[in-house]
Amino acid sequence: MRHIGAFLTLVVVTLLLRSTALSALAARGVMLDVLAFAVAIWALRRGESWGSTCGFLLGLAADLDAAHWLGRHALALALMGYAVGRLGRTLVRDSARTQLVVLFVCTLLHQAWVSAFSFGGAAGALGTLLRVVVSAAVTAPVGTLILAIVRRLTGHPLFGHASLDSKSSA
Amino acid sequence: MGGFLPPAERRSSALLGLYAALSLLLLLVGDRLPQGGLRGVGAWVFAPFDRVVLTLDRAAAAWRDNQQLHQRIAELEIENSRLRIAGTENQMLREQLGLRTFRNLALKPVEVLALAGEPVPSAATLSAGTHQGVHEGDVVVTRDGLLGRVGESYPGLSRAVLLTDLNSAVACEVESTGVLGVLRFTTTPIPRLVLTGVPLSDTVRVGELVVTSGYSKRYPRGLPVGRIRAVGRDPTGLVYDLEIEPAARLSRIRHAFVISHAVAPEEAP
Repeated sequence: MRHIGAFLTLVVVTLLLRSTALSALAARGVMLDVLAFAVAIWALRRGESWGSTCGFLLGLAADLDAAHWLGRHALALALMGYAVGRLGRTLVRDSARTQLVVLFVCTLLHQAWVSAFSFGGAAGALGTLLRVVVSAAVTAPVGTLILAIVRRLTGHPLFGHASLDSKSSA
Repeated sequence: MGGFLPPAERRSSALLGLYAALSLLLLLVGDRLPQGGLRGVGAWVFAPFDRVVLTLDRAAAAWRDNQQLHQRIAELEIENSRLRIAGTENQMLREQLGLRTFRNLALKPVEVLALAGEPVPSAATLSAGTHQGVHEGDVVVTRDGLLGRVGESYPGLSRAVLLTDLNSAVACEVESTGVLGVLRFTTTPIPRLVLTGVPLSDTVRVGELVVTSGYSKRYPRGLPVGRIRAVGRDPTGLVYDLEIEPAARLSRIRHAFVISHAVAPEEAP
């Protein structure tokens, strides 16, 4: 029940951030991929089932908001949630470097997939590529910094230890 | 293969398969589904949260806006008195020449609750709907210029399609020369507004004001749209592609105005 409450809070906060503060930032050319960030973090913390569920529902909400190509965010984020959740078992999830790499890759893949739907040919390829890379390059350090701050505030690891988790799940 | 996996992994794999199948199905047939109702429910659920976030944001900006507005009111009062005289003169001249006179547009103030779309906002949720007299097709403007039009209207909310929507097209003209074109939004090579279909024989200059033209069926004539930022040619090389800097600041919209029945039936061409 506590997980469901936390999950719903995450969904609401993510969608709110996306439609208010981050939307204004995006218009200025700074695209923080809060969807990829939320799904990756949730999947790292809760595993692949919750990760894919979180990805699918957040993606579906984002798709409905965008009004074009229903299902594009849902598919990418569900797969991402699953992959990160599976991968999370073998990673040192509380390492800042791990978080940085996971967030960078997730944002890069998500943005590349989403941009593919509005790709207008070779003329715009460089601009699109630049936007995707910049988005990943901004989201990953900002996300890692946020996680570091949260960890400092709470005073305990956010994700636990991978090997301990796999022992307990086994 | 599934039989070799532990039950928890089988469950998560099945869940992923279900989500992937649903997503693919939506990608294939999603455009045929009635999404308006679902978006209406979403807007209704998120409206209270959006209001709380925006209230905090607006409280912080209210003091600064207040000072600016006081100054602007003083300036506008002076300008208004001059324009009133010019307007009366213009009205008399138009009557003498037998030209159609402009009608006054009633502005209905609304709050912008949320923005949606990427890489730049392409839709906005407005705080007024059918109960407040806002209907599909109404024009949405800010004090700076045209924003878009109402695409979907619900009892207490509505959704405006902005100029930056990929499907948006607005008949425009360059104010000083009357050069005509169609304003569209494109994402290639970078997201921008472009005035298309301007013949190479026309003279256009960077910085000129672009307004809605009388040929538009959806927008009244003379609403500021933006200024020409750059002059280029379209890929065919036959017409100009004019990059437009929007008059309305799309990155920061708090309030807007809805113009109901902006184009009277007899005015529509």
